[in-house]
Amino acid sequence: MTYKKPLPNPTPDTRTFWKQCKNHRLTFQKCNDCGHVRWPPALICPRCHSVSHESIESSGRGTVFTFVVYHQAFHPAFHEDLPYIVAIIKLKEGPQFLSNIVGCDPDQVSCDMSVELVWEDINEDFSLPKFQPASR
Amino acid sequence: MLLEDAGDQAAFGHFGAVAGYALAARRAMYTFQTGPETWQQIATGQRKWANLNPDATMYGKPLTPEDYMLSGYLVEPFRRYDCCLISDGGRACIITSTERARDLKQNPVLIMGLGQHNPSSAIEQSDFMTGPTGAKIAGQKAFGMAGITIDEIDACQIYDCFTYTVEITLQDYGFFRPGEGEDWFREGIIEPGGRMPVNTSGGQLSEAYFMGLTPLTEAVMQLMGRCGTRQLGPETNTKKPEIILCSDNGATLQTHSCSILRRL
Repeated sequence: MTYKKPLPNPTPDTRTFWKQCKNHRLTFQKCNDCGHVRWPPALICPRCHSVSHESIESSGRGTVFTFVVYHQAFHPAFHEDLPYIVAIIKLKEGPQFLSNIVGCDPDQVSCDMSVELVWEDINEDFSLPKFQPASR
Repeated sequence: MLLEDAGDQAAFGHFGAVAGYALAARRAMYTFQTGPETWQQIATGQRKWANLNPDATMYGKPLTPEDYMLSGYLVEPFRRYDCCLISDGGRACIITSTERARDLKQNPVLIMGLGQHNPSSAIEQSDFMTGPTGAKIAGQKAFGMAGITIDEIDACQIYDCFTYTVEITLQDYGFFRPGEGEDWFREGIIEPGGRMPVNTSGGQLSEAYFMGLTPLTEAVMQLMGRCGTRQLGPETNTKKPEIILCSDNGATLQTHSCSILRRL
């Protein structure tokens, strides 16, 4: 079945991120000068403006900073998912990342609940990092 | 357009402003006392003003608290009536020197104070979605320039893309402390006859969405005395306004502009 939802559109900044997602690795840039772990990826550190950085792999563990429940599909391919959850996840490594909470009834989600990473392989090119309630 | 604006977030089914502000509103519900009980008072209060404004989209369409609560969620926690209208149209106001304005036929309005503050970072990284938003510092700058305090404000025209935006903006300006909004809005303080009229045209929730010019032009027209049946003063059992506070904000609470206007 063809995947009908919008796909990520990698840019020079985000290409590495999406490539690593395909390998089921959630990676972020960490500034070599001030240590800030940033999202979205960028040429320079938003804190100290350094251009030097390394790539770190996230544990995929974090908490729900905030979330919403879509009851209206703004794109036809999401209609079958309603109601679905979009959340900002505060990862243990620092960055906040927008994704979905899956495998969980919307009524069971709350701010600051613990979540863990789960991968959704959507086609040959992309895997999406999503989150589910932490198992422990 | 919606798809382009959403960027890679579209892959997760995240689109547009409703959900962006709903994310902020949800965190606010967790951080301090707020939610539908507070927002309902903003939606129904502004609708009362719209029903005094024949130009308002929602003129002749009363909104009760029950209507609000029974309306479906769009992006929870926001219901239909938490969201502004989508409008085609335009607004303008003419700015000139005070000297020239004095010679014109219409009563002029003076700009007393202006302030801007832009916390700016993208919504995922936002640590300001539950306040202080840009309204706090922008407000302080505008009050400083105007040389007045909040006690001298007679009415407010607040950028109301969503009900929560009105709450967090008034909270950050200092009208009430975090979580005290539900009590502050009670008894119709912002409505016709209230002590602090807010969005007296019906605002973007109930009159029309003309971006920052919905609040700004309403403030100008109220101070000029051109508002007919919704005119602040004896007509609506409110104080005749000398000074009105206006706000505008952009993106998801990422930019903020505050203007304080007064009658000449």
